Amino acid sequence: MNKRQLLKTLALAATFGGARTATAQQGANLTLWVNAPMAGRDAPLFAEIAAFQAATRHRVSVQAVPHLEMQRNLTVAMSSGAGPDVMSLDIAWVPVIADAGLLLDITDHARSVADRYQPGPLLAGQFRGRHYAMPWYTNNVALYVNNPMLAAAGIRTAPTTWQEFQAAAIAMTNRERGTHGLSLAAGPTGIFQVYSFIWQNGGELIDPSGRVRLNEPEAIEAIEFVSGLYTRHRAVPDTVLTANSWDEVNAPFLQQRAGMLISGDWALGAIARNAPNLDYSVHPLPRGRRAASVIGGYSIAVNANTPARDAALQLVEWLSGPRSTEVMGRYERIAGTMAAVAPELIARLPANQRAFLQQAPYGVPRPAVAGWGDIHSNVMARLWDQVIRGAAVPGAVAAAHRAAAAIMAR
Amino acid sequence: MSGRPARSGPPEGGPTPAIASDRRRVSSWFETGFGARLYPYLLVLPAFIIVVGVVIYPVLSGIWYAFHDVTLRTLNRGTISFVGLRNFERAFADPVFAQAAWNTVAWVVLNVVAQLSLGLSLALLLNRPRRGIGAFRAGILIPWVIPSVVAVLTWRWMYEPTVGIANELLLRVGLIAEYRPWLGDTATSLLAVTVESVWKGTPFVMLLLLAALQMVPRSVIEAAEMDGASGWRKLWHVILPQIRVAFAIAAVLTFILTVNNFNAIWLMTEGGPLHSSEILFTLAYRYGFQRFDLGLASAIATLLFVGLVIATTLYLFLIHEREKD
Repeated sequence: MNKRQLLKTLALAATFGGARTATAQQGANLTLWVNAPMAGRDAPLFAEIAAFQAATRHRVSVQAVPHLEMQRNLTVAMSSGAGPDVMSLDIAWVPVIADAGLLLDITDHARSVADRYQPGPLLAGQFRGRHYAMPWYTNNVALYVNNPMLAAAGIRTAPTTWQEFQAAAIAMTNRERGTHGLSLAAGPTGIFQVYSFIWQNGGELIDPSGRVRLNEPEAIEAIEFVSGLYTRHRAVPDTVLTANSWDEVNAPFLQQRAGMLISGDWALGAIARNAPNLDYSVHPLPRGRRAASVIGGYSIAVNANTPARDAALQLVEWLSGPRSTEVMGRYERIAGTMAAVAPELIARLPANQRAFLQQAPYGVPRPAVAGWGDIHSNVMARLWDQVIRGAAVPGAVAAAHRAAAAIMAR
Repeated sequence: MSGRPARSGPPEGGPTPAIASDRRRVSSWFETGFGARLYPYLLVLPAFIIVVGVVIYPVLSGIWYAFHDVTLRTLNRGTISFVGLRNFERAFADPVFAQAAWNTVAWVVLNVVAQLSLGLSLALLLNRPRRGIGAFRAGILIPWVIPSVVAVLTWRWMYEPTVGIANELLLRVGLIAEYRPWLGDTATSLLAVTVESVWKGTPFVMLLLLAALQMVPRSVIEAAEMDGASGWRKLWHVILPQIRVAFAIAAVLTFILTVNNFNAIWLMTEGGPLHSSEILFTLAYRYGFQRFDLGLASAIATLLFVGLVIATTLYLFLIHEREKD
């Protein structure tokens, strides 16, 4: 740590008033829960924690929790008055956990540093106009293309519009060879792949006022377009009926049975591990009426019941602050900071990561409403499962609209 | 001999006379009167505390939740209110609940019947003294000892609709004309999961029944053979009555384990597609941990609990009546 960083840390500690309390003088004991992939062996996080401890005298115990168990474990532990002082959490969980009163309101801090962050990831930490989480890393979904399959289909460049995308998917489909144009998922993962298309078409799911807008022509048209790739054009393998994990969605693309894949930067690691020789490239999603890509990623938040609020907030600032740009780079992820999307930084990245950063300005967060988890997992997933099995899209959308509105009314 | 003088007191390190006297007094207190009546209760107290803490309290609190409006918000803001039977009304009004209840019945009947009949068949087969029978017995237990998550995920990939080995095998033996999405088809998803569950659970039933079969006195079977009993009559009138207690235990355990078999369904289909493989257990989990509507989830869990208690009691009652006959 250089002098400037040290001074900055000390100033930060003074800002949060840590030096005024006996706890801060002695250093607080903090527990940090993070999603497991961020705390693997030799993960950059541990060096960051060591630097934080050295700078603040607080002690941090890091506990890794698998993504699939994180939301349940967090809510159960925090509802019982326990749980971590600081946690990383999927941006989609922020509204429901904040609504339960389990997250510390950090609006003052968030507003004071808002200009340092990309708007989408910052907005994802907001619920009912208040801030409860700071961006840690962000991602979006892009288009993975198998280069030889695209060339074999007689197409020179990756699709940039919906029409080109559809034409490429159909052209790469060959029943005799058992190849298809695009790999899609079933259920919640499948509808997650579709959200970007709804926004691209000018549609909306739930607007900021909480009004459900699913039953509008733009959304219906987008769902018809994507589901039609399977139901009408058969350009998607039957795995669309069963794949509910990213491994299963990736599989046809890795095995060169599907020429395109809609996924986030997490697929880069899966490809490197499982198909290191695959000749592929990553491109921004084909544009509809406008560019849009659904935002994912993790934020950092503080337990509302932590006895060490100042120290916990210091840790949030440390992990999500300016240092996160470089740290997330070491994870091959995108920090939520504005610095992370600076053109010179994008230019230095491997080609397959650039598409995600190019799309960052068009990132759209999912609705920040308390019922979103239920709407996504049960209503939207059901809608997708119905339409890929041949249900008429307008009718299925109308039913989903009513179900979502009922959840919002609750 | 060392010539050390003999000691009249307790051996070195042993209790002093005063402590020994105290112990005798305490010991005699537990042997008579109130102490003697209290003693057995003190012995079971640790187990009782554990059972209350990990079984009775959760069950009672679950039942209490079923009659209250418990969501993440009300739980953490301390605004839980009594709602009477409203959670049960909401459950019964939900079409998914009816589908899950029907699926639960189908799931249990298919599993119990298949596991008991296959388990009994295998037990009878492996009860015969043959060379190398030990290896067969050990081999058949493999599905049972494989961790359930590993087994479920393996089956999931076997059912894969485009390259899964299940499709390839069925195609080669001519049972299907083209690959099918077994887990992705609403008509076959529950059956596909049932096959995995039966494969996993049958060895346990077989083990219970095989142990019981080996306890059947040889003389009884030989007497039946001397009386000219055929294979089926011998099985029906001699062997099965001898193992009926073990069979009843196997049936009750299979029933309870099947109703509570969350892993198989959740990991293979998550209750889908379109709730076609949803059972009450997965529905309670969905409402509890996806919707965080803990009151509704507890109402469903309470109904499931009551159903389990009634079904188990009824079955054991029938067995008991038959024993008396």
